[in-house]
Amino acid sequence: MSEKNTSLAFDALVVGGGIAGGEAALNLATNGFKVLVVEKDLSVGGKMIHLSKVFPTLDCSACITTPKVSEISRHPLITIFTETEVKGIVKNGENDFDAKVVRKPRYVIAEDCTGCQLCEEACPVNVPDQYQYGLVGRKAAYIPFSIASPRVAAIDIENCTLCGACERACPTKCIDFTQKPVEYSVKVRTVVVATGFNLFDPVNIPRYGFGEYKNVITSMQMERQLAPTRPFHTILRPGDGKMPDKIAYVLCTGSRDASVGNPICSQICCMYSIKQAQLLMGALPMADITIYYINIRSFGKGFEEFYEQAKGMGVNFVKGKIGKITENAKGNLILRYEDINENILKEAEHDMVVLSVGVLPNTESEKLFVDKSLQLDEYNFVKQPEQLVSPAKTSIKGVFVAGTASGPMDIPDSILSAGSASSEAISYLNNK
Amino acid sequence: MEPEKGKTAKFLKEQQAVSPAAIENLKQFTRIKKSIVDALKEEELTISQLSEKLAMPKTDVLYYLMSLLKYGIVEKGEIDDMDEYFTYKIKKVNE
Ligand SMILES: Cc1cc2nc3c(=O)[nH]c(=O)nc-3n(C[C@H](O)[C@H](O)[C@H](O)COP(=O)(O)OP(=O)(O)OC[C@H]3O[C@@H](n4cnc5c(N)ncnc54)[C@H](O)[C@@H]3O)c2cc1C
Ligand code: SF4
Repeated sequence: MSEKNTSLAFDALVVGGGIAGGEAALNLATNGFKVLVVEKDLSVGGKMIHLSKVFPTLDCSACITTPKVSEISRHPLITIFTETEVKGIVKNGENDFDAKVVRKPRYVIAEDCTGCQLCEEACPVNVPDQYQYGLVGRKAAYIPFSIASPRVAAIDIENCTLCGACERACPTKCIDFTQKPVEYSVKVRTVVVATGFNLFDPVNIPRYGFGEYKNVITSMQMERQLAPTRPFHTILRPGDGKMPDKIAYVLCTGSRDASVGNPICSQICCMYSIKQAQLLMGALPMADITIYYINIRSFGKGFEEFYEQAKGMGVNFVKGKIGKITENAKGNLILRYEDINENILKEAEHDMVVLSVGVLPNTESEKLFVDKSLQLDEYNFVKQPEQLVSPAKTSIKGVFVAGTASGPMDIPDSILSAGSASSEAISYLNNK
Repeated sequence: MEPEKGKTAKFLKEQQAVSPAAIENLKQFTRIKKSIVDALKEEELTISQLSEKLAMPKTDVLYYLMSLLKYGIVEKGEIDDMDEYFTYKIKKVNE
């Protein structure tokens, strides 16, 4: 660990640089407050930056995220620390917080990197690309993804063999293996928690065969397959590279299921599955898409119409509970399910299955504070003690919550929630 | 002593050992990459054909082949009459 300790001061600390954290930071900065955004990943943008299109408008997600992210990155009152984690925040009094944050080495001098990717080309290593959810490889010296912000190389030190090829290839000599973690002491007057959500890991439902049957994938993997920066040249089954033509969706995978510890509805899975089904019908016009559901939750503006539109396009909706998935010799999947309307057990064969995985809390938020307790609700999302009147308030005065850190929600609601968190934070800052 | 700019990997290598898993992973990729490239130099092949030729599971062939496609070493060929499986070939570089 480097001895270098750096002291900084900001009006607001925003923890998490997803769409909610970004929006909250932008609102605070537009009102004249100095903001530090701390993001643990190599890029800001959260999950949204990796989506294909968004429901219910089918706008291109990257086209919405990129200008927003660039506005946040360029704002003179916003400082962004990527690959950085909060070690602990102490509240000394009102409008007075001390935060310790640790910035991990990227092994690249960010200011000098032009994003030319010559290091990537030279690197001989290949490891699963986390931003393509393991479907394809990436190098150990790599630009995280094409629309990453910052679009700067990073070295995956765990998988690097220190061969030096990247350094020799880099025209600006900005690769620096001497970098060490740097700890900063940051004084702030308010904190916005925007740590987002985690995705349910379907290996926890062994009867669906995820991991064992390669043609069973998650909705996030399908999201990547549908994006312009997709892992493959077209949509393919990971088991053998076949272009699928009979695809099934299993809704509520890891949601509304007390047996896996998550009894609540994830609110977004029905709609993103309906979105993906429509996009698949566009990409694979001959394909048959079936959505197995318990109930369709189409509660938002334009959602019911979006659902009807999918039906009109020929997407099959089957009210059925999946018991077990097995694989046959052709790599096709046999879904055994209870037809809820007819109350009988049925079987259906599909050549690819997409598990619509649910939203889980990111409990890291609880560990951010040292001396005070940031309380969580019964489902482990950040507790909103005044949910009806001041939904952004938390159990700590001067600390506000934005986006999915407080519960499952879609992008428009995350942005609204960030608006609420930033306005509560501004009024707290103004009431010294 | 401060290491020379552009030669810092050597400096770190002297200070800390490279993980054996990272070295093993690199060896494995280099071997697989060579075997795929050699096979495709002979003829255009589907994933199933490559899998048989290299005695490697189809899912692994797909993962490595798509990585090589991403790195610009391989490109897709034609799709079969059933519109199911593509062939793959070595990418021609325009001189
Ligand atoms: C498959 C799929 C498809 C979807 N499709 C749509 C759609 O079409 N339309 C729609 O409206 N919504 C969609 N959504 C929902 C959408 O992704 C979320 O609403 C949105 O991403 C929530 O934003 P957020 O900022 O709250 O959280 P996140 O996107 O999770 O961002 C949180 C950020 O905080 C960072 N972070 C976490 N912990 C820490 C920490 N301790 N310190 C520092 N940083 C931290 C994370 O790295 C991340 O960058 C989809 C979701 C999924 C899974
Ligand atoms: S680190 Fe160097 S070689 Fe790699 S992208 Fe940046 S400038 Fe290019």
